[in-house]
Amino acid sequence: MKKFFSLLLALALALSLAACGGKDSETTPPPTESNGGQTQTPPPAGDVTITVAALASGYEEAYPGMWQEVCDAFTEATGVKVNLICDKNLEDVIGPSMQGGDFPDVIHLATGREKGLTEQFIKDRNIAELTDVLNMTVPGESVKVSDKIVGGFTETSVTNPYGDGLTYLAPMFYSPCGLFYNAGLFEEKGWSVPATWDEMWELGDKAQAEGIYLFTYPTTGYFDAFLYALMYSVGGADFFNKATTYAEGIWDTPEAQQCFDIIARLASYTNPVTPAQANDQDFTQNQQLVLENKALFMPNGTWIVGEMAEAPRAEGFKWGMTALPAAKAGGNGASYCWLEQAWIPAAAPNLDAAKQFVAFLYSDAACAIFAKGGAVQPVPGLTDNLEGDNKLFYSIYDNGADAAMGSFAAYNAVAGLGTVREVFLDPVNGLVNGSITVEQWISDVKAASDQMRANIMG
Amino acid sequence: MRSSKSRGRFLALCVAPAAILYFVFMILPTLNVFRMSLFERGAYSPAETFAGMANFRALANDTKFITDMQNTILLIVTVTIITFFFAIVFAAILTREKIRGQNFFRIVFYIPNILSVVVIAGIFSAIYKPENGMLNSILSFFKGETVMVLWKDQPMVIVSVIIAMVWQAIGYYMVMYMASMSAVPQSLYESAGLDGAGRLTQFFQLTLPLIWTNIRTTLTFFIISTINMAFLFVKAMVAKGMADVGLSFMYAQKDAGLYGYSMAAGVVIFLFSFLLSALVNWVTKREVLEM
Repeated sequence: MKKFFSLLLALALALSLAACGGKDSETTPPPTESNGGQTQTPPPAGDVTITVAALASGYEEAYPGMWQEVCDAFTEATGVKVNLICDKNLEDVIGPSMQGGDFPDVIHLATGREKGLTEQFIKDRNIAELTDVLNMTVPGESVKVSDKIVGGFTETSVTNPYGDGLTYLAPMFYSPCGLFYNAGLFEEKGWSVPATWDEMWELGDKAQAEGIYLFTYPTTGYFDAFLYALMYSVGGADFFNKATTYAEGIWDTPEAQQCFDIIARLASYTNPVTPAQANDQDFTQNQQLVLENKALFMPNGTWIVGEMAEAPRAEGFKWGMTALPAAKAGGNGASYCWLEQAWIPAAAPNLDAAKQFVAFLYSDAACAIFAKGGAVQPVPGLTDNLEGDNKLFYSIYDNGADAAMGSFAAYNAVAGLGTVREVFLDPVNGLVNGSITVEQWISDVKAASDQMRANIMG
Repeated sequence: MRSSKSRGRFLALCVAPAAILYFVFMILPTLNVFRMSLFERGAYSPAETFAGMANFRALANDTKFITDMQNTILLIVTVTIITFFFAIVFAAILTREKIRGQNFFRIVFYIPNILSVVVIAGIFSAIYKPENGMLNSILSFFKGETVMVLWKDQPMVIVSVIIAMVWQAIGYYMVMYMASMSAVPQSLYESAGLDGAGRLTQFFQLTLPLIWTNIRTTLTFFIISTINMAFLFVKAMVAKGMADVGLSFMYAQKDAGLYGYSMAAGVVIFLFSFLLSALVNWVTKREVLEM
């Protein structure tokens, strides 16, 4: 009996250790080695399976099964099997195993998310270069990938993070960001959408008289697109590029001062309940303020229509979207083009098949499937087939607004230095509730910007 | 002799799986945290460079970390005092007094404890809603005019977190104290009553000293768990940057790509919680009363 017990225990031990060991042997060999076994057989090969991790965003919600359908189409076209991981909290699902060294082959996850996973890969130089994918032929078609991407989309800092002309992240879904409002209310009151900031403040006073606040925002995170567009409309491409690379003294220029002034003034026109609801739990209540005519404008993206589809709203409500007003009369407004990226971790086990998958994302078949979820890729001709609200939103650039694209340059993380969001954007809550002064905010931005410049990558 | 030897071997084998699992999944990772706090590295890249104590020096100068730790301490102190006060008082009332529906109250107080933090955040989001929220509506009713307190905004935000945390914790500790209070023999109270001790005197002279061991143990539990619960509540309930606590700082640094730095923060919080429990243990030391 005793023998039996010890045997059982020993077995249990061996099993539990083997379980750990198995994981180890699976994950420890450097990726280049594990490549060897699997990709020697050139694709299309039936025995290659790649893992694709894609964020289940509003598009997937609008058309459930969208990503799975694309993966199936890819398998059909190339014979490479796909194991799809699609989740709303993708970082939490793939993060732990990646820390253990087990990487998916393709990841569709944009920069600018709170967990900053993509940014971390950029900072660690842990992303495979994709420049050669642009020269590949789209699987199942005879066109080069670069011919299927609208010019300019593979030249921004969002896709080429190190400023060296090499593409590391594939431009996927884009959507114009701007100020959303109730077009029905504007018609009813006979107001016109302001074309300059001066008109904006005038409208703010007019609305205030009727008990409507000018502005609200879901969370401070939504100010990133807002700030980019604001910088672009105030100072044009030159100022935008300098500011996003933290050029010396850039925050002392009159353009920067104007940006600060506008945000500070906007804070004073903001519905005061906003910061109390500007968290992940309650941000929809801030969006609700616009639906219920308690605030006129909010910065947002085109997904808002789907996100608030079920929400109650004021009578005669109609979505409207405008670019940010021009900095001065006669100038152009600007709208930030928010771009989601797909990329391949440098340690992806099946690099070649992964690149094929990225190329396939631009095929007509894939584009058509993504379009069903309302996701629009920067592929020529795609916006022609848009319907309803989306048609209006995506026409924003045709109506004279400048498109701002790009993002703050990547910098090496330094202990004690906050992220761009923490230093530049989060204090907006404090501006609205009065817990910090504008001067404090500006001096924090300047100090952080200097440190970011000192640690810039590339 | 032989039998005691084989007995020892048998015991060792029985304990081995748990001990080994504990070592592999608790001790090793903890040691690893200490090791990684000395390095500079990203969460997802294998490259790491030795940084010595640089991470800790940076922590000492990081005003954000200091503010966050202050928030943590504020939450630990206030939530502990309020929770324990109410838990003991309610427990005393429910065990010692004859109240209709005792079991009902017991259940009502205990329910928050089995809810997940996300659900609690949802409930309190409805309670704290600025317009037509439950709390503001009640206040408006009594004041006779519309009250609009922004519960989740500065400066009320920390109060809101405290209220939610107390609400969540009271039931569990109340049930614990009820268990130990009902173990106090009725005869003691009867004789105390004959000696002329009133209800309050009985509570302070009998009940409290006799459940003191229980209070001490739960206090240590509570302080350690509050460090974690404070993070969960702040994360689920309020905007980033409004009432960040020590662990929020740790996670934020990890997300910013400073894994070593975040581990250093983890080490400081780990040592902090250890020292605090030791301190509480030492301060609350009393001679144990036997019944």
